[in-house]
Amino acid sequence: MTGYIVRRVLWLIPVLWAVATVTFVLMHAVPGGPFTQEKPLPASVIEALNRRYGLDEPLWKQYLLYLWNLLHFDLGLSFRGDRDVSELIRSGFFVTAQLGVLSFIVAAVSGLALGVLSAVKRNSILDYAGVFLATVGASVPSFVLAAFLSIVFAVKLGWFQLLGWGGPTQLGDVLDPGAWDVRKLVLPVVALSALPAAYIARVTRASLLDVLDQDYIRAARAKGLAESVIIVRHAVKNAMIPILTILGPLAAALITGSFIIETMFSIPGIGRAFVGAIEARDYAVIMGTTLFYTGVFVFANLAVDILYAVVDPRIRYR
Amino acid sequence: MTKRSFHLILLTAALAAVVIFGAAACGDKKDNATPSSAAPPQAPLDQQNLVIQGGEPEFLDPQLSRVEQDLAIERMLFRGLYQLVVADGGAIQAEPAMAAGDPEVSGNVYTVRLKDGLKWSDGQPLTAADFEYSFKRECSPETAGPYQYLLGASTLNIIGCDDYFLAVDNTPAEQAALRDQVGVKAVDDTTLEITLAAPKPLFTTYLSLWAAYPVREDVVEKYGEKWTNPGNIVGNGPFILADYVPQDHLTLIPNPNWALDPKPQLQQLTVKFIDDTEAAFRAYQTGELEMVQVPPAELPVVQQDSTLKSELLTLPALRIWAIATQLSNDVLKNFDVRLALSRAIDRKTLVDVLYNGAYTPATYWTMEGIPGYQGNASFDNLIGYDPEAAKKALADAGYPNGQGFPTLKMTVLDRPDKKAEAEFLVKAWKTVLGIDVSVDATDSRTLGQLFGTGDFELLPSGFQNDYPDPENSLIGLFNSDGENNLFGCSDAGIDAKLNAAATETDNEKRIALLQDAETLVISKLCGVIPLYQPDFLYLVSPEIGGVMASGALDMAMPGNWCPECWFIKAQP
Repeated sequence: MTGYIVRRVLWLIPVLWAVATVTFVLMHAVPGGPFTQEKPLPASVIEALNRRYGLDEPLWKQYLLYLWNLLHFDLGLSFRGDRDVSELIRSGFFVTAQLGVLSFIVAAVSGLALGVLSAVKRNSILDYAGVFLATVGASVPSFVLAAFLSIVFAVKLGWFQLLGWGGPTQLGDVLDPGAWDVRKLVLPVVALSALPAAYIARVTRASLLDVLDQDYIRAARAKGLAESVIIVRHAVKNAMIPILTILGPLAAALITGSFIIETMFSIPGIGRAFVGAIEARDYAVIMGTTLFYTGVFVFANLAVDILYAVVDPRIRYR
Repeated sequence: MTKRSFHLILLTAALAAVVIFGAAACGDKKDNATPSSAAPPQAPLDQQNLVIQGGEPEFLDPQLSRVEQDLAIERMLFRGLYQLVVADGGAIQAEPAMAAGDPEVSGNVYTVRLKDGLKWSDGQPLTAADFEYSFKRECSPETAGPYQYLLGASTLNIIGCDDYFLAVDNTPAEQAALRDQVGVKAVDDTTLEITLAAPKPLFTTYLSLWAAYPVREDVVEKYGEKWTNPGNIVGNGPFILADYVPQDHLTLIPNPNWALDPKPQLQQLTVKFIDDTEAAFRAYQTGELEMVQVPPAELPVVQQDSTLKSELLTLPALRIWAIATQLSNDVLKNFDVRLALSRAIDRKTLVDVLYNGAYTPATYWTMEGIPGYQGNASFDNLIGYDPEAAKKALADAGYPNGQGFPTLKMTVLDRPDKKAEAEFLVKAWKTVLGIDVSVDATDSRTLGQLFGTGDFELLPSGFQNDYPDPENSLIGLFNSDGENNLFGCSDAGIDAKLNAAATETDNEKRIALLQDAETLVISKLCGVIPLYQPDFLYLVSPEIGGVMASGALDMAMPGNWCPECWFIKAQP
């Protein structure tokens, strides 16, 4: 198992290299540069700016220089404000990760509960209500839901606030209750968790229904086991594999940020920074965030594979 | 279980992420004034706390700035030798700020005396040498200032500025020599001598702009690119930077060494960085923001709400939205074709349908709010909406009823409002002229690239003034050899007027020449078909006083040409 994990982590190196290369090529292939604007700058200014940021060098040289700096953990400077990219990722990810973890917990708990209830009370009013909620959650886009929640619960009812993140901005403040503001937390978390919750509920229901039709469940019932024991100990645990499969990428997607939710609630997260960087052709930020995302996805998938072994003892890695 | 090919999945995911482009967030800009004087009583100092919407600045370094959200904040942190203000009666003028008075002019040499006892925000004296350093910094190839042109040959024309700026490949010694030849010299602590290549009637206007704000050498040298961080930055404006949280907000507090009057009343001014105008509009309604821009789509909501309606402020921006036409194109080089396209557009309906009537239909080019404005009355009968005249023009061009007309391509910004606008135009041309125009929607940088290289046929675009004078939107854009002439406009009559205007020292004659040039540009449709002048739509809380909004001077915030004028009113 340890050897397997080490091998998987080592694989990260060629994967990062491949992603860096492809991103670099794509990024420079897209028309427009960091200094392109509606009112074009004089050619002499563009030349001076390119010189300043080393963009006057041939592409292969820029590429090699980037890789060399990457080996030294130097992600470069943003064209916008000369800010350090690693610092930008650090501060953005800290906020995005909080939003993502909270949303993931809400989505997982409500999705699982809804899915299990629907499956156990199959074809009851509860099931139909659960399916209805899950369908709504899956089909309403997050920007519509975010706008709806904002207007109803902040503008009309005044229960919540809309601007900024309601959590700490520095790691040291996580345990400080004063750094948390529930009035700013609720709406973005609900808006972001609705879709994954619906997705989890649907997969849970389908998977659990499948398991409940198995012979060994019938056998357990025939033995007179309590229904709650059957559901929790025998059915749900065996229904977990497909759910875990989707939870990994979902967790990764949630903690890497949602451009839409972060923009609509003005949250200083990494998703907003990433999309803003692509739009602005802010090369160093595009490269830095893409590579960072790559790392997050690799580790999320690895975590899921390890969890498989925990849930299903038949699975072994060598 | 089989080992999943996880790296393939994540590679796909990363690639998908790379190619996703979001919608462009685009700021609008400036124009003309409604001073609200007769100051009501002010709230006590502990209540002088204001939270407003802004865009996140790229730089707070005046010599490196090129976007409006930077300039908005820099006007609070710095101030030049002169400053543009709205005078009583609404006229825009440049008045002395750090300068003690108007310059003494002797030929091409302008001598500016500074006020006595000026200080930086940290208490050190602010001298003529600081301005010398800053101007030379703007002219430096190492700085690569995007608005170096404001001091260079096409504008202020300080001698030696361009030679130094273009010396990118020279040795450090050669660069140092060129630097010494830049025509700006501190004679003593309060006397600055500026040598131009030719006299300039707009001298004080240019020196009011951000490129000519002072920055301090020892601070820039000590902290490098971090010199504008809170704690490091030193300025001479009414406020100082107390706090900066990336992607979130910045906080300003009064500068105790601010030299001019009025002194800022606000004890804390917080600018929240919000890209989404809809989000800002909602936050205004919850009371989290006290000053915001309103998206035109929300205008009906505002107008149906009597409270919001009374808090709405509408000002024409220093911007014209027009269709750029590529005159090197075989079809578009025919004047009658361009005339037909222009006369087929019902600009009034376009503005009403797409922007809830918030913008002003325009057939003019020099914007409302600046000197020399001529307005629609001068041009509607030449290029305005007239379907019959449009059909006739197309027939004159050799395409009666659109027969044989090739499909033109229009490149537009990939944003819902701009795509709707394109649909409107395409339908108008189809209905009136019977011709087809294909639409290509793309992101703003790609659009900028196509425009900047002249690689377009029709391209709706915003033309923004950097300073409130008609020369800014004419010289360089429409002369045959103009650096920003991307349309291929080449007309001896226009050249003559613009060249004369560039060297004319009598201001009235200069404005008249520019008006003549505008008339020629419009009557010949030499590269642009104007559509409308956008408005700034602001909501300003009734609790705020001293907001003297000016479309010509404001940078995306109402009245921010004078942020030191803002205050919180006393509660009745």
